[in-house]
Amino acid sequence: MAFAIEFFIRRLSQGLLIVLLVAFVIFTLLRIAPGDPIRIILGPMATATAMEETARELGLRDPIPVQFGRFIVQVASGDFGHSFIRGKQGGASGGSQDGAPDLSQRASVMDLILTALPYTLILASLGLIFAFLIAIPIGLAAGLNAGRWQQKLGLYISSFFVSLPNIWVGVVLIYLLSAKSGLLPAIGYRGIAYAIIPAIVMAIEMSPILIRAIAVSIAANVQEGYFNVGQVRGIPRSKMIYRHVVRNAAVPLLNVFSAQMIGMLLGGLFVVEYIFSFPGIGLLTINAVFQRDFPIIQAVAILASAVLVLINILVDFASTTIDRRLKF
Amino acid sequence: MATEPIMRVESLSVVLDSAAGSRPILSDVSFDVAPRSVLGIIGESGSGKTVLSNALINWIHKPLRLTSGRVLYQGRDLLALPEQAMANLRGREIAYIGANPTIALDPTIPVGHQIVEKLKEVEPGISEADARKRVVDTLDAVRIPSAVRRFDEYPFQFSGGMMQRAMIVDALVSNPKLLIADNITQPLDVTVAAQIIRLLRDLQSAFETSIVFISSSLGVVTDTADDVIVINAGRIVERQPAARITAAPEHAYTRDLIAKVPRLWAEAETPEPSPGSDIVLEVRDVERTYVVRDRARLFGENQVRAVRGVSFDVRRGESFGLIGESGCGKSTLSRLLSSIEQPDKGSIKVEGRDIAGLKGTPLLAMRRRFQLLLQDPYNAIPAHASIGRTIEEPLRIHGLARGAALKQRVRDVMTEVGLSPDLYDNLPVGLSAGQRQRINIARALILEPSLMILDETLSALDQVEQARLLALFEALQKRHGITYLYISHDLAMVRRVCARIGVMYLGRIVELADNHTIFETPAHPYTRTLLSSVLTVEPKPFLPETYLMEGEPPDPIHIPDGCTFRTRCPFASARCATEEPHLVATAEGNGAACHLEPGHLPPPSLPPAPAGRAAACLET
Repeated sequence: MAFAIEFFIRRLSQGLLIVLLVAFVIFTLLRIAPGDPIRIILGPMATATAMEETARELGLRDPIPVQFGRFIVQVASGDFGHSFIRGKQGGASGGSQDGAPDLSQRASVMDLILTALPYTLILASLGLIFAFLIAIPIGLAAGLNAGRWQQKLGLYISSFFVSLPNIWVGVVLIYLLSAKSGLLPAIGYRGIAYAIIPAIVMAIEMSPILIRAIAVSIAANVQEGYFNVGQVRGIPRSKMIYRHVVRNAAVPLLNVFSAQMIGMLLGGLFVVEYIFSFPGIGLLTINAVFQRDFPIIQAVAILASAVLVLINILVDFASTTIDRRLKF
Repeated sequence: MATEPIMRVESLSVVLDSAAGSRPILSDVSFDVAPRSVLGIIGESGSGKTVLSNALINWIHKPLRLTSGRVLYQGRDLLALPEQAMANLRGREIAYIGANPTIALDPTIPVGHQIVEKLKEVEPGISEADARKRVVDTLDAVRIPSAVRRFDEYPFQFSGGMMQRAMIVDALVSNPKLLIADNITQPLDVTVAAQIIRLLRDLQSAFETSIVFISSSLGVVTDTADDVIVINAGRIVERQPAARITAAPEHAYTRDLIAKVPRLWAEAETPEPSPGSDIVLEVRDVERTYVVRDRARLFGENQVRAVRGVSFDVRRGESFGLIGESGCGKSTLSRLLSSIEQPDKGSIKVEGRDIAGLKGTPLLAMRRRFQLLLQDPYNAIPAHASIGRTIEEPLRIHGLARGAALKQRVRDVMTEVGLSPDLYDNLPVGLSAGQRQRINIARALILEPSLMILDETLSALDQVEQARLLALFEALQKRHGITYLYISHDLAMVRRVCARIGVMYLGRIVELADNHTIFETPAHPYTRTLLSSVLTVEPKPFLPETYLMEGEPPDPIHIPDGCTFRTRCPFASARCATEEPHLVATAEGNGAACHLEPGHLPPPSLPPAPAGRAAACLET
């Protein structure tokens, strides 16, 4: 118990520092990148004085550390600011030529994210479930039968999947499952059925890494002394596998999951949501990038880093709970 | 014999299949195991012992293959049983304990829980509480201290000896009729191995189990078994009662085996100290403490006091030995002496220069003077670099030679250590452990060091190769005046080569003396304990009955007050609990950290050997 408390105090404080650093880097990069957000907010017809005035109002002419400090205080109270572009009712109003901007009419970034988040969570969890459904049986079979056809099958399937570009898979699946046969809907979101094809695309992208990781760590544990000795001690092979081999193999798997899978999942969401016009965080972000909607980009980037840090902490805690030799 | 044997092996043969054809491993092996007896099987490494022990539980896998024979147990041929029926015997009626206890259990689950898992598998009806109670009781029976707490500890928290006890519990908890113990004392310290053997004998009578005891150490087998089988190259060459096998061996191979066991007291020839020459290594009050996190307390830390104030001198051209059980701080000390780690306190002077605080270029320059050779010759050599490249690397690092001169020096040093210079461009693939260790020696020697630290350097080699390398070390010492510091648990080797010896216990040197004093008239009870637990075939001056202690050293986090050895010392008095004894050297430079006067220890059961060359030299 003492260990768990100490672990979380230590790791959460470290994690907070990491997220702050990431936030500062993102914040600074967005402000020194070319392209003036004021021009986007006010549109091409705005006068220089109007632009200067709005910039001053928005605090964009203060030194970056001052802006960052102000931003962090805001974030701490759960406020990520307002979109430069999007109106409260949705839809972009940026670059409109109807006079002075009214920031109170712009949508709050937090609201935009909270609206998009459930869709992304549905897609991400469905994608992970599909990926595990594909990878666990293939990976287990490959790991338990090193040197036999199951191992080759695992290798071929993962090589095949890893060579498929997700954009192409998306388009082909839309054509086959939706346009041609009409089995599943594909574009936009009006129910969970709309998440199935995009989730399959994500699963195909993620499963090769999982198959490999499962096969390798299972095979390594079957080689361990305790697996053979356990059977000589009188415990059946099947019980040795599901009680001991799977447990021991979980630690490297968890690390693959936190180090590679989550990053891949986040990256994949952007592309897949864009292909399928899926109204999640990914689509929100891609549109924000096209529109230079800085508050949304920085909020998503900061939240993504916080999620990554948090998942890493949880995975490390799970690992050290499974294998007490690990130290953190 | 009137009684029916519990197991009968009939003309068992096993071959090893490979691309080159099949090679016999066991040929026509037949023997009986009598009920309630211990059958010892002795053979050198590669004689087929382990394959035989596996065959007894029908655990022969590719590329090994059974070609003939039967293993009869209760009238059934185990080798012909269907796998399911065999699985019902394995771990139940026939238990097996292997040589490596540290890998035998799942590292992520507490030891007691895994034994309960096995027990429930073997006796499906047993309740969780009953199973737990029986395991704790059996842990008590094999004298694992505080069994209730140990039940919930993980394999990595057990020492090798404790783990081997746990595996004995695991085997005995199902009340097997037959126990096959394959080289179970091999990885253990001598003191622990002696305890395990004594324990196994006690348990054998308590549990009425028959034991097949397989070992490569003649001393271990003759100490344990009723009857002994000698096996050579897969064939049984001799079977005799244990008492007769050393007294009246019949087969030439057995005689040869007995002759090869190193003697510590009979016919001992020991090197002499060189008190006149200058000091190469001067170690003063060296300390090293590690801080480890404590899971049970919030922000808790524990101090592991690995080395606690060690002082000694090594003179030029001398061989100094450091001995002690695992965990006594030998290896930490070797890391400090070779400047891989810095001591927290104290000084380490090599040829007068303190290396304790040295860093960067001055340290690199000093490193030429002292070189470290480790135990594992496989991991110490890069697998993808040619042998010549590996050996010449130190010269390049120190910028000592280049071009043709460099190649010539590498060839010279290869010849000197007994490696053919033709191997220069070869990879180390396929070289034996001994050949690889020669590469290590060449790599160290090429810098012309004045001190070599040999940390268990020869422990992984067989007797023959060990003897060859010892001769090489001796020759190099004569030719180059190299000083050796042997760190080892092999008392027979230390007896042969070290002029002065330090005995370490819990991070301290408890006795420091010349070879003759340490082995004939040691003043510290711990030294006598170590000597009493040596398994050999000759009469010993110090007997286990008098000195052998139970248990293992306390862990270096909770070091006892007063004398650290008092918790295991048969002669401890009240004074030992409060006052820590210090090592006081006599005029000859010998001394022991003990409150007892040497005369108050029991006299050796053998008269000390006539003072050898060593003592004669001191008197002059």
